[in-house]
Amino acid sequence: MQIIYSDLLCIGAGLAGERVAVEAAKAGFNVTCLSIVPPRRSHSSAAQGGMQAALGNAIMGDGDTPDVHFADTVKGSDWGCDQEVARIFADTAPIVMREVAHWGVPWNRVEAGVHTYYKGGKPFEAEEKLEKHGLIHARAFGGTAKWRTCYTADGTGRSVLNTLDSMCLRYEVGIHDRTQAETLIHDGENCLGAIVRCLKTGELKAYLATATLIATGGYGRIYKATTNAVICDGGGQIAALDTGLVPMGNMEAIQFHPTGTVPTDILVTEGCRGDGGTLLDVNEYRFMPDYEPEKAELASRDVVSRRMQEHIRKGLGVKSPYGDHLWLDIRHLGEKHITTKLREVYDICTNFLGVNPIHDLIPVRPTQHYSMGGIRTNRDGAAYGLKGLFSAGESACWDMHGFNRLGGNSLAETVVAGRYVGKKIVEFLKGHTVDFKQSAINDAHAKVAARIMEMTKSSSKQESAIQLRDEMHSTMMDNVGIFRNGKDLQKAVDTLDELIDRSKNIKLQGTAIGFNPEISLALRIPGMLKLAQCTAYGALMRTESRGAHTREDFPERNDKDWLNRTLAYWKEGSTRPELKYEDASPYFEIPPGERGYGGGKIIAADIPEEKLRLPKNSAEKKKAKQTKKAS
Amino acid sequence: MDASTLTLHVRKNGAGVGRLDVMQMLSGVLLIVFLWAHLMLVSSVLISPKLMNAIAWFFETTYMAQVGGPLIGLLIFAHFLLAARKMPWRAQETNAFVKHSVMMHHKDTWLWLAQVGTALLILVMAATHMWVVLTDLPITAAKSAARIQSGTWLPFYLILLPLAEIHVGIGFYRIGVKYGYITKANRKWYQRLENYMMGGFITIGLLTLIRFLFLTV
Amino acid sequence: MSRRLHIEVFRYNPLDPNSEPHMQSFYVNEYDSMTLFIALNIIRDEQDPTLQFDFCCRAGICGSCGMVINGRPGLACHTQTRDLPDHIVLHPLPVFKLIGDLSVDTGTWFRDAGARIEAWVHNDHEQFDPKAEEVRMENDLANEIFELDRCIECGCCVSACGTARMREDFLGATSIARVARFYLDPRDERNEENYYQVIGNDQGVFGCMGLLGCEDVCPKHIPLQDQLGIMRRMLAIHSVKGILPKRVLEKLQHKGCCHESH
Ligand SMILES: Cc1cc2nc3c(=O)[nH]c(=O)nc-3n(C[C@H](O)[C@H](O)[C@H](O)COP(=O)(O)OP(=O)(O)OC[C@H]3O[C@@H](n4cnc5c(N)ncnc54)[C@H](O)[C@@H]3O)c2cc1C
Ligand code: HEM
Ligand code: SF4
Ligand code: SF4
Ligand code: FES
Repeated sequence: MQIIYSDLLCIGAGLAGERVAVEAAKAGFNVTCLSIVPPRRSHSSAAQGGMQAALGNAIMGDGDTPDVHFADTVKGSDWGCDQEVARIFADTAPIVMREVAHWGVPWNRVEAGVHTYYKGGKPFEAEEKLEKHGLIHARAFGGTAKWRTCYTADGTGRSVLNTLDSMCLRYEVGIHDRTQAETLIHDGENCLGAIVRCLKTGELKAYLATATLIATGGYGRIYKATTNAVICDGGGQIAALDTGLVPMGNMEAIQFHPTGTVPTDILVTEGCRGDGGTLLDVNEYRFMPDYEPEKAELASRDVVSRRMQEHIRKGLGVKSPYGDHLWLDIRHLGEKHITTKLREVYDICTNFLGVNPIHDLIPVRPTQHYSMGGIRTNRDGAAYGLKGLFSAGESACWDMHGFNRLGGNSLAETVVAGRYVGKKIVEFLKGHTVDFKQSAINDAHAKVAARIMEMTKSSSKQESAIQLRDEMHSTMMDNVGIFRNGKDLQKAVDTLDELIDRSKNIKLQGTAIGFNPEISLALRIPGMLKLAQCTAYGALMRTESRGAHTREDFPERNDKDWLNRTLAYWKEGSTRPELKYEDASPYFEIPPGERGYGGGKIIAADIPEEKLRLPKNSAEKKKAKQTKKAS
Repeated sequence: MDASTLTLHVRKNGAGVGRLDVMQMLSGVLLIVFLWAHLMLVSSVLISPKLMNAIAWFFETTYMAQVGGPLIGLLIFAHFLLAARKMPWRAQETNAFVKHSVMMHHKDTWLWLAQVGTALLILVMAATHMWVVLTDLPITAAKSAARIQSGTWLPFYLILLPLAEIHVGIGFYRIGVKYGYITKANRKWYQRLENYMMGGFITIGLLTLIRFLFLTV
Repeated sequence: MSRRLHIEVFRYNPLDPNSEPHMQSFYVNEYDSMTLFIALNIIRDEQDPTLQFDFCCRAGICGSCGMVINGRPGLACHTQTRDLPDHIVLHPLPVFKLIGDLSVDTGTWFRDAGARIEAWVHNDHEQFDPKAEEVRMENDLANEIFELDRCIECGCCVSACGTARMREDFLGATSIARVARFYLDPRDERNEENYYQVIGNDQGVFGCMGLLGCEDVCPKHIPLQDQLGIMRRMLAIHSVKGILPKRVLEKLQHKGCCHESH
C-alpha cells in the first residue's frame, strides 16, 4: 500500500478546505488536499448569491457593523448557534473579504450615483456615495437588516474558489483529485490521517498527517430532491461518525427551499413568487389561497414549502417519472418581464428543463438545500473526541448557524472559518508531533479492504446499493421533510433501522477491474444511512420547533428544555445513534427572544445571570476596542 | 519581489517566436495584396487586350516585372518556410487533424485543412506558372491567350485559380481572426465577406480565362 | 411524444487488459425534460452499473461532464435529449487522458496548464494589511475580469481545438484566456514581457491557428476568440518592439477594450 505523508491533510478542496490549506502552506507546512473532483468543481462553485460581511460600503448597507451582522446571525439561528463562534465570524468576515480581494477576487464594486434597485419585486432609487466609489459592493439577501452580501455577478462561489485554487497552486499545496477518503486512521486518541480510495484506479492508499481536516461539504444526497451536487454524500462526516468517538452536532437542522425544479433540482429564485407567480396542482388549480387566504403564494418560505408538501401528500401533485411535483406558473407575467427581470429563471427552464416559462408551466417541488449540522467542533475547529482532527465549512458544526443559516452566511463561513481554523491548525502543527502507529494504519486499511472484498465475493448477499439508496430517498422525502411529526419520524427511524441492517448485505451487480463506480456508491450507502438516521432520530427526539426544524406536534420554540445542541454518537453495530445534548452557547451576548419573523410561540428559559453576560476577558477586550474606536 | 514573482526572472521564450508569427502574417498580407493586384492586372484583358499589354509594358520598362517577379518568388518561398512550421508534416498529425475535422463537422476547422491542402498544390503549380511566365517575357495578352488555347494550360489554370483564391481567401479571414481584427461581433459578417470575395475573384478569374480562350491571336 | 433513444456509448477500461475500445448500445425511454445526465444515470442504475462517466453539479456550473455528443464537445448535463436525434453517440473528450468509458482526467491537465502559465495574481501576498480598506477598483473592470473567471474548466474548448489534437503541449484557448484575465487585473504585477514568457511561444498564443472550434463549443460562452486576438496582437507587437517605430505599434494596439486604461 502506498503511504503519503503530509503535515496537514485536507479532506475536501472546496472553499473551506482550500482556505485552510492556503493558511497552513503559507506558514511553511506541507499540505495535501484530497477531493473527489478537481477542486474547482467542488460544490462551492455552484453558490451564486454571495457572502455576507459587514463592510457597509453600499448605501443600502450604510451603518452596518459586525454587531448588526452578529445579531442577524443569532436571530437567524433561532438562538441555536454558539454565540462565541458567531461573534468570531461576524468580526472576521470583513477582513476575509478584503483578503480574498487582495488575492484576486473580482468583487463587484460600488459605483457612485443613483441606481435603481429592487426590494420585494418593486423598484426604488438610491444614491451610492462618492467616497465609497470602487469599494466592495453588497446586495440584499433574506433575513438581514442591511444589504451586506458581497458578490461577483452571478458567480461568487466560482470566482472565490478560482482565486483560492490559484493560491493553492502558488503555495504548492499538493492536490490529489479523484480521491475519496473512506475512513479515518486513528489510535483512539489521535487522528493520524485517512485511508483513501483512488477514483482513477480503485487502489487504496494511506494518507498520514499530523493534522487532518474534514471539509467535505454538505450531505444533501440523503434526500432525493436536493440542490446539492451528486458528490455531496457526506463522506467526511461518515468517516468521523464511524470512529465512534466524534459526534455530529444538530443533524436534524436541515434547510429546504420551496422551488427546486424537477427533475434536476436546480433552484429558481423566490422572486418568481414575489413578482406574482402562482402555484398550481395537477388540475392546474391554484391551491395556495385555500390554505393561506390572505397571503397565498407570498407567505413565508417555510409556510409555502409546508403547504406544497401537504398538497402533494393529498395526491394532488403532478405525477412524473421523477416523482410528484407541482407547477409554478409565471406565464401571465409576460415575455418581457420573464426575459429581463427573471432572466436566470428563463435560462434554467430553457437550458435544463426544456420548458419555456413564457408558454409553459414550471415543475417544482420543495428541495433539500443546506445542512446546518455536521462534525461538532469547538471554536478552534477541533473536532470533539479526537486530537488532530479538525473540520470547517458545511461539513462542520462549528455552529454559527444553529437551526437556520442565513443566505450568504454559509459561503462566508467557509472562508472565515477557513482562515480562523487554519491559523489554529498552524498553532497545533507547531507544537505537536504524532507517532504514526503501524497497527492503526493496518486496522483502518483492513477495514475498508474487507468491506470491498465482501461486496465482491460473498455469494450469500444480495442487497443492491441502488435499491437501498432509493428507499432511503423516499423515506427521507416523505417523513423527514420540512414539516415533521412524531408519527412520520418514527416511521422513518424504523425504516432506517431496517435499511441499516440490510446495508450489511450489499452485493455488487457488476464487476470491473480497477475503478468501479458501483463500489463508490456501495461503500457510501451504509454511512449515508447512518447520517440519515442521525437526522431522523435527532428530529424525532427534539420535541420543539426551532428554525428549520419544524414539528407540527410541537409548534413552539421551547427554550426551557431545548436551548441546546444535539450530539449524535454512533456505536459500531447499532442502528441508531446515541444522543447527548450540550448547551447551545457558552453564554448569550444576545439573550433568547423573538426573531421578528416566522412567528411562533416561545417557551422561555431560565438562564442564569452570569450566562447572559460576555465572559470577563472578552468583555474587557471588547470594551477596550470600543474606547479605542471612540477616541 | 517574493517567491511568487521569482520565476518571472528566468527567461524562457525569446522574442523569436513572436517575430516569426509577425513575419508569417506579413508574408500572408503581402501575398494577398499581390494576388489581388495580379488578378486585376490580368483581368484588365476583359476590358481590352490593349490595356493589359500597356500595363505589362509599364511593368517591364520600369523593370518592376524583372525585379518584382523573382521577389514575389522569394516572398512565396519565405512564406512557405514560415507557414511550413504549422503544417502537419507527420502522418500522425495529419491523421489526428483529419479525424478531428470529421468528428467536429465544424466549418472553420475544415477551412484549415483546405488551406493546407491547397498550399501543397500551389507550391508546385505556382512555381511552374512563374517559371513559364518569367522566362518568357514580355507579358502580352497574345502570349497568354496562346498558352490557354494550346490546351494543356487551360486545365492547369482552371485548377490553380480556385486553389489560389481559396487559399488566400481563407488566409485573409484567419489573419483577421488570429490578430483580433475579426471579433465575435463581426465574425459572421466577415465570413460572408470572405465567401463573396472568393466567389467574386474566382468569377473574375474564370471570365478572364474564357476571354483568353476566345481571344483571337 | 415518447421516443425510445438509442444511446451509443464508447466503452474502454484501460486498466483491464482484456478490454478493447468499442461502442456499446443502450436503449432508454425518453421522458419530458430529460437531459443526458438523467439518461446516463438511468443506464447506470438499470442496465450497467460499471459504466463510467462524471457528473457533479448537474447544473452546468462545475464542468465535470464534458463529453463528445454526436461529434461536438459539450456538457452532458446541459444537453436535453429532445434537442438530439433519437440516435445519440457519446465519446469521451479527446486530448485528455482517458480514465475509462466517458471519463477523462481534466484535473491533471488544467493543473499542469495552470502551473505553466503561473495562474495566480502575482503580487506580494504577505503584504495584506487586515486593517486597511481594500484597494479600489472600477466596477466595470471587475465585471470584465469576472467574465473571464467564469470558465469552468470543462475542457470542451481544448477538445474542440485542432491544434491541441495535433500538438500535445498546446495550452489551449482556456489557458490563454486565463492569462488574459490576469493581464486585465491591475493586482497582477506582471508586465508584457512576463506574459510573453509564459505564452509567447508555439505552445501558447502563437500556436493557435484561429480555427475557432473553441469559441464555437464553449458552453459558458467565454469570449475566447476576442481574447485570443487581444493576447496575440499584444504579444506579437511586444516581440517586434524596437524594430518597428513606436507610432506604428501604438496604432496597431488593440482598441476597444479597457487595457489602455491601466
Ligand atoms: C445551489 C446552491 C447555492 C448556494 N448558494 C449560496 C449562496 O449564495 N450563499 C451562501 O452563503 N451559501 C450558498 N450555498 C451554500 C454553500 O455553497 C455551501 O455551504 C458551501 O459552498 C460549502 O463549502 P465547503 O467548502 O464546505 O464544501 P464543498 O464546496 O461542497 O466542498 C466539498 C469538498 O469535499 C470533497 N469531498 C467530499 N467528500 C469527500 C471524500 N469522501 N473524500 C475526499 N474529498 C471529499 C469534494 O470533492 C469537495 O472538494 C449554496 C448551496 C447550493 C447547493
Ligand atoms: C508556396 C506554397 C505555399 C505554401 C506551402 C503555403 C502554406 C500555407 C500554410 C500552411 C498556411 C497556414 C498557416 C497557418 O495555419 O498558420 C498558409 C497561410 C496563408 N497563405 Fe500560403 N502557402 C503557399 C503559397 C501561398 C501563396 C502563393 C499565397 C498568396 C498569393 C499565400 C497566401 C497565404 C495567406 C494570406 C495565408 C494566411 C497567413 C497566416 O495565416 O498567417 N500562400 N499558407
Ligand atoms: S473556456 Fe469554455 S470550453 Fe474552455 S474550459 Fe472554459 S468553460 Fe470550458
Ligand atoms: S482558435 Fe486557437 S485555441 Fe481555439 S480552437 Fe482554434 S487553434 Fe485552438
Ligand atoms: S455536471 Fe457540472 S457541468 Fe455538468
